[in-house]
Amino acid sequence: MSPQPDKEEFLKLIQDNKRIIYKICNAYCHNSNDREDLAQEIIYQLWKSAGSFNDGHKFTTWMYRVALNTAISFYRKENKNNPLVSISEHHTNIEDRNDGAKDIEENINLLQQFINELKELDRALMILYLDEKSCGEIAEILGITETNVATKISRIKEKLKQKFLTINNQ
Amino acid sequence: MEDKNLESILDAYKNKSDETWLMNVMNLNMACIESLQKEKAKSKLNSLAVFKKIVIVGGLLYAFLLGFLVYFDHFRHFYFSFSMSMILLITMIAIITLVKHVVMIRQINYSTNITDTQRKLSALQYSTINIFRISWLQMPFWSTWFWTSRWIHSGINFWVTAFPITLLLTLIAIWLYKKISFENKEKKWFKFLMNSPEWNSVAKAKEFVDEIDAFKNDSL
Repeated sequence: MSPQPDKEEFLKLIQDNKRIIYKICNAYCHNSNDREDLAQEIIYQLWKSAGSFNDGHKFTTWMYRVALNTAISFYRKENKNNPLVSISEHHTNIEDRNDGAKDIEENINLLQQFINELKELDRALMILYLDEKSCGEIAEILGITETNVATKISRIKEKLKQKFLTINNQ
Repeated sequence: MEDKNLESILDAYKNKSDETWLMNVMNLNMACIESLQKEKAKSKLNSLAVFKKIVIVGGLLYAFLLGFLVYFDHFRHFYFSFSMSMILLITMIAIITLVKHVVMIRQINYSTNITDTQRKLSALQYSTINIFRISWLQMPFWSTWFWTSRWIHSGINFWVTAFPITLLLTLIAIWLYKKISFENKEKKWFKFLMNSPEWNSVAKAKEFVDEIDAFKNDSL
């Protein structure tokens, strides 16, 4: 059995990197209840796996691995039949903003939706890319080659661009 | 859309912050992490192992009943004891395979890379199909337990009724054992046999394994 780390120290590390949990929950869950359930599941799995953390690796690399594995498993079990948040729903959320902020907010929401529509592994790749992880680190987290990472990122970006184009032309 | 437009949306997304809902969860866990540990059994991610454990308990009760029948018959009725022993043997093979799966599920380490971990999990899920294949092999023995030596030697009656049925069930069992695989998932007989929610999740697990393999190998 792996030794458990100091509770306070561990929770502080999680707190310092909570944006990772936030981003992953947003990408793999479509409603707030599921997001909270997944966040709890991730924290539980992080605690359970704490003994496997090796000081030789970056904490965020380890955290991403545990959190993404948890999210993908959770998504495959729980969220398959949940509908994605519709574009019209995003529109209603941003009605009160001024035009400039509204455009930005709308684009961010669309991007979130397009990311949520990607396959599980492509979604994980995009979360890591948007967190400005290097190709090497993304490759280490996902278990693929750096060349593969670069190829896939450019393909996904092209796909996103096409989706924005389609929406703008409607 | 120009590349720079997409890049500016990506940049805006990176800087977006709305973590209020997460703060509630984090505060809750700060106070209750020990109780979270105690709730391990309720973890949604353990449901695969839980399902297999339920099948194992059911299988063990079934095996115990079969063992009880064989033990008390003491091979006084050869065909009965032999048939029950064979059914018991096949049941035990299925149970041992399931136990191995549960042990492997417990050993999966979520801190290893995503593609390897997810592949192992999904491969374990779709390996349920092997239990199903093995289980069919007990079918012919359900048509032999009531055979008797006197019946076999009493004339043509046995050879035109019981024997052809057992032969047919044996051929069907062997055929199913060989043919139940994902390659035949589009065949009508396969869909008829595998029409259940459990099968759907097994099929999706297999699809995910194929997707992971494609994801890992595709770098052109």
